[in-house]
Amino acid sequence: MSAVEAQDVEMVAAEEEVDETAKNALEADALVLADLKQNFALLERAVATIESRFITRVLRTIASIRKRLNANVLSQAIQLAFPRDSPDRSKLLDYLGKESGVMEVDFDEDTREQVPILPEIDFYLSLMVMIYLLDRQELEKGVQLANETTARLQTFSRRTLDQLSARIYFYYARFYELLGKLAEIRPILLAAQRTATLRHDDDCQATLLNLLLRNYFHYNLYDQADKLVSKATFPESAGNNQQARYMYYLGRIKAIQLDYTASHNHLLQAMRKAPQNTIAAGFQQAVYKLSIIVQLLMGEIPERSIFRQPVLRKPLIPYLHIVQAVRVGDLSNFQETLAKYSDVFRADKTFTLILRLRHNVIKTGIRMISLSYSRIHLRDICLKLHLDSEEDAEYIVAKAIRDGVIDATIDHEHGYMKSKENVDIYSTNEPQVAFHQRISFCLNLHNESVKAMRFPLNAHRKELASADALRERERELVKEIAEGEMDEDDDVADF
Amino acid sequence: MSATLQQTSRLYNELYNEFYSSNPDLNRCGQYLATLKVMLSKISFLLPEGEINNAEALLIGRNILEIGALWSVATKDIPSFERYIAQLHTYYTDYGSLLPQSQQMYPLIGLNLLRLLSQNRIAEFHTALENIEPEQLLDNDYVKHPVHLEQYLMEGSYNKVWNSRAEIPAPQYAFFIDILMETIRNEIASCSEKAYTCLPLSDAATLLFFDNRQDVITFAMERGWQVETDGKIYFATKDDNMVEIPSTGIIKHALYYARELEQIV
Repeated sequence: MSAVEAQDVEMVAAEEEVDETAKNALEADALVLADLKQNFALLERAVATIESRFITRVLRTIASIRKRLNANVLSQAIQLAFPRDSPDRSKLLDYLGKESGVMEVDFDEDTREQVPILPEIDFYLSLMVMIYLLDRQELEKGVQLANETTARLQTFSRRTLDQLSARIYFYYARFYELLGKLAEIRPILLAAQRTATLRHDDDCQATLLNLLLRNYFHYNLYDQADKLVSKATFPESAGNNQQARYMYYLGRIKAIQLDYTASHNHLLQAMRKAPQNTIAAGFQQAVYKLSIIVQLLMGEIPERSIFRQPVLRKPLIPYLHIVQAVRVGDLSNFQETLAKYSDVFRADKTFTLILRLRHNVIKTGIRMISLSYSRIHLRDICLKLHLDSEEDAEYIVAKAIRDGVIDATIDHEHGYMKSKENVDIYSTNEPQVAFHQRISFCLNLHNESVKAMRFPLNAHRKELASADALRERERELVKEIAEGEMDEDDDVADF
Repeated sequence: MSATLQQTSRLYNELYNEFYSSNPDLNRCGQYLATLKVMLSKISFLLPEGEINNAEALLIGRNILEIGALWSVATKDIPSFERYIAQLHTYYTDYGSLLPQSQQMYPLIGLNLLRLLSQNRIAEFHTALENIEPEQLLDNDYVKHPVHLEQYLMEGSYNKVWNSRAEIPAPQYAFFIDILMETIRNEIASCSEKAYTCLPLSDAATLLFFDNRQDVITFAMERGWQVETDGKIYFATKDDNMVEIPSTGIIKHALYYARELEQIV
């Protein structure tokens, strides 16, 4: 008997547990719904005041809502927002796999029904459904919805839609990328980019430009990407995330074109503009990988600390080995590493860049030799650097001398290389150049920060008012003084 | 439309027979090509656009352009070669999936790479490399050759560049290699000026890949080297130890700092 009782108790407890989780889920759903409702309100306010700030706030919540999203909440939100007979409503519900009308919601639908829905809210919900489908990997459905949404988007011309449409285009391209059909949407993106430029729609312009570049890179069409960059201007006021992406793409193009200094600058900016937390780990890794190679190609050695960062440590291991090989100037070690990790480098699309490093390895090797020996036989150089023949060594050393890598002369008859004395670097213009670089960097930083400052609207009026008052007081003071002087005069007269 | 296509295909056959005959008449081929290009543009296959389902016409277009490119090399007309390659690019990339892979594709890509190299357009060379699948880069004979050449050039292994003349994958490569050789000789000369103080004539001949002394002496004259009676070349050692004070630069910097500081305060 007692055993049965005990079982009962257990069952009750279990039921309670189930209840608990169900209740928690329900509460969480209610919270998400509340968030969505608040976003609707914000969107309405944005439209009413034509203030893009509110939309930015809405978009900022996407990440947090995205994690808690499910079909139930979305369908409730859709039923809440759309009038009951709207065709869009049933369409969106279809995408969620929900029958419209099955889930009757007891919200105040009557009041809602008359008000036509704002396009902003409409697109916001479409965007949320797209994100939901993306997370559920329902790509075919997602593409369909994205196609419809972007087609509808092009019929609108509302400034309050700009930021939303930028996001929608982003997911639109993402769906196509996951399906491996990126080439198809290029004309649509180009057309949208043109429209965005004509409308001075900075957000869309920036997003679309990046999408196009990504699209070209996907197919290794660097010359086309380069042409696009040279023809299109990237809006200065674009968000940091887009700017970081753009800088990364520019860095890539420049690296391919052997303009390493420019490439390095762009990549540095990309690193600084990118979010520093672990959310953007993938982006950071990609940027650092490229930047390490570019630094090596410039003849610099990247800092060791880069490889110690927890986010970067593991994916950068192949690159660490490459750096070590280049630093020591060991050609055979370099070749080994290259062969060992060639698959990784190919996947990262850095393989061709790393192939170019070969002669940097040789250069470092020669520099090391030149620093440590005042006179050395060409044959020994050949052995040390694992070169194929003495003649090769002679040509290579001659080129290194011409390129200013080392300061030395070759004695052909006796077959040796003789290093010259090291010059004192402080007697040259080198320090001045270095200082100039730093000073102009600081000045630029200052100017940039002045430009980036934001001032509240009409704040200067207040100051103006106080300035007026100040002037008034001054005038009174002057008057008083003048009167005082007169008084004094009187006094004098009296005296 | 189809009548023009048939005519084009007939003319193409004539061109094909002429070009691949044992002793082709290049002038005749040029004339054929000119007419064919007009015809192609009439049926809009010179630069195809949009959806195309006529694979046969596409194939003829590609073949004509390929012969055109090879013909340009044979007649040593580099700008024309460049144009043909640009036109072929559409056929190779955008319509590559519709057509069987061309036998001539990699030889032509390789030739194009070599052309960029010989014109010293290194940036474009690398951009073009990115378009090629990585597997082909090191395994395909036609592509491998220019890729290795570029590496040798960058390192300074001019010896290997010179030797690579012997192992060209296709006879057409020789044309561009010869142009490249001229560039290399000048490169070596400029390196030697810096690296040696003096050099015996016979050694200079081997370094610069000359066959006899006389050539070396004329070359030395052109570059303004001194050939002394002891059979050695003396390079003019420039005395660049004089440290000049870059006054204009310093003034400019100082003014720039002053202006910027003025803005801050």
